[in-house]
Amino acid sequence: MALLNDEIIKNVTEMLADLANDVRLVVFTTKNGCEYCKEIVQLAEEVAATSSKLTTEVYDFDAAPDKAAEYNITMAPAMAIVGKRDYGLRYYGIPSGHEFSTLMYGIQRASQGEPDLDPPTLSYLSELTQSVNIQVFVTPTCPYCPRAAILAYDMAVASDKVVADIVESMEFPDLANRFSVMGVPLSVINETGRVEGAAPPHMIVDAIKAALAQ
Amino acid sequence: MFDFTLSPEPSKTEISDGLYDVVIIGAGAAGLTTAIYTARDGLKTLILERESAGGLAATTEMIENYPGFPDGVNGAELLDRFRKQAERFGAEIVEFDEVVKVNPLKAGEIEVHTEGEQVYTGKTVVIATGSQPKKLNVPGEKEYYGRGVSYCATCDGPFFKDKNVVIIGAGNSGLQEGLQVLEYAKHVTFLEFLPYTRAEHILQERVKNHPKSTLLFNQQVTAIQGDKTVTGVVAVDRETKKEHVYPTDGVFIYVGYSPYSAFVADLVETNRWGYIVSDKKMRTKVPGLYAIGDVRADNPAQLSVSVGDGAKAALAIRDFILELQG
Repeated sequence: MALLNDEIIKNVTEMLADLANDVRLVVFTTKNGCEYCKEIVQLAEEVAATSSKLTTEVYDFDAAPDKAAEYNITMAPAMAIVGKRDYGLRYYGIPSGHEFSTLMYGIQRASQGEPDLDPPTLSYLSELTQSVNIQVFVTPTCPYCPRAAILAYDMAVASDKVVADIVESMEFPDLANRFSVMGVPLSVINETGRVEGAAPPHMIVDAIKAALAQ
Repeated sequence: MFDFTLSPEPSKTEISDGLYDVVIIGAGAAGLTTAIYTARDGLKTLILERESAGGLAATTEMIENYPGFPDGVNGAELLDRFRKQAERFGAEIVEFDEVVKVNPLKAGEIEVHTEGEQVYTGKTVVIATGSQPKKLNVPGEKEYYGRGVSYCATCDGPFFKDKNVVIIGAGNSGLQEGLQVLEYAKHVTFLEFLPYTRAEHILQERVKNHPKSTLLFNQQVTAIQGDKTVTGVVAVDRETKKEHVYPTDGVFIYVGYSPYSAFVADLVETNRWGYIVSDKKMRTKVPGLYAIGDVRADNPAQLSVSVGDGAKAALAIRDFILELQG
């Protein structure tokens, strides 16, 4: 049974009709207690079927450690959204509910390779010399979460130093507990900075500055 | 089992230059309704939203009393449809830029200044900023926000699977959101300040009959306790004057709403709670400036009423602009 209904497939086809460059959805599954791995692979394949520019690759996280390392994937299920080059767009868990929009945005941005950010944010990101990991904790039912997630994706596209990990909190409870996540969206910068809510770019930039200063 | 929601690409609308016929502040149900009408009427329409479009209704998991949906409708899905309808007719939407000042220059020319240092000018301006959940202003509330204290059950309810939760406030919002939390939680305790609840009868019955809920009245919450995350709620029984600590993993606060009107407080008439006074045609005392939806005085904070306000303002705006054109 298909995950995406006809209306969604029609809308996705329209949204992805003018992709500039090829995009690979690199999916990592695991046999180690993965509730939705089958569905994540199916989702990636159904989305990929809507555009000739999209392809999927599926790897077993435990059996292909080299591939996981290549994409810096630290847990599964996961998806790397890779355009002309790897901009560091990652999704951990299944992007369902409101988070489906995040996946679509990630595909569009990875294909285009251009971030949609204001000049001051772009300027700051272009001067980064240290690595920045933005983990955005989300839930599929949260209408505010895609805003935080796509901002992280834009920042990752803007700078080779930034990696954006969107984490579906319910599927990674241990990680969510580690950061005491009890509300979403929550952006965690380099495992130290913490920004609650769908914050505007300047607040994330401030959090990055603070995290890098530590 | 899964659903997949596609929102329009947020905040990526190309904003045109020049004078707008209508600048709407707030992309909730009221503002989007005005936009649907005015944009469809051929008026150049801009909506400014400080957060993401949808407003308060978009955070409601299930709306059961909006006509046309016999099985109820998800708030985010419904408001997403409002938005798409407004955009279909050409309304432009800017999200995540907060309006900080409204400056009437002359009849048919009102400036709107945003935090992002943008200035938009409209022949008319509609204030549809709604209201925001009131804070309790008790110790622990701010410290544990995001660490067990929440104002959005739709967003954060799943974190409390098999956990104990306290809902502060047993009005319509508290009971409705509490019922949603009950889908996940081990037990939900509702603490209400009043000796009764003003919530709809159907919600009261659902909560009272739920095997995992306790509804307590006359409870004045005085603090939220915790260490790394929330551990308890302190409340005083207003009858017995005894203090009690309710151990809990999470706290959802629904103690009413306050209007988002401070940015125009010196411009329009407000009632003693800060709600903006507007007439039957949604007009404020400033020509060309309208107030609709939950930010408006004597508004019962119902989605259907906000939609009605939005439509009334749009019709009044049409007349106003015709008058301007002479």
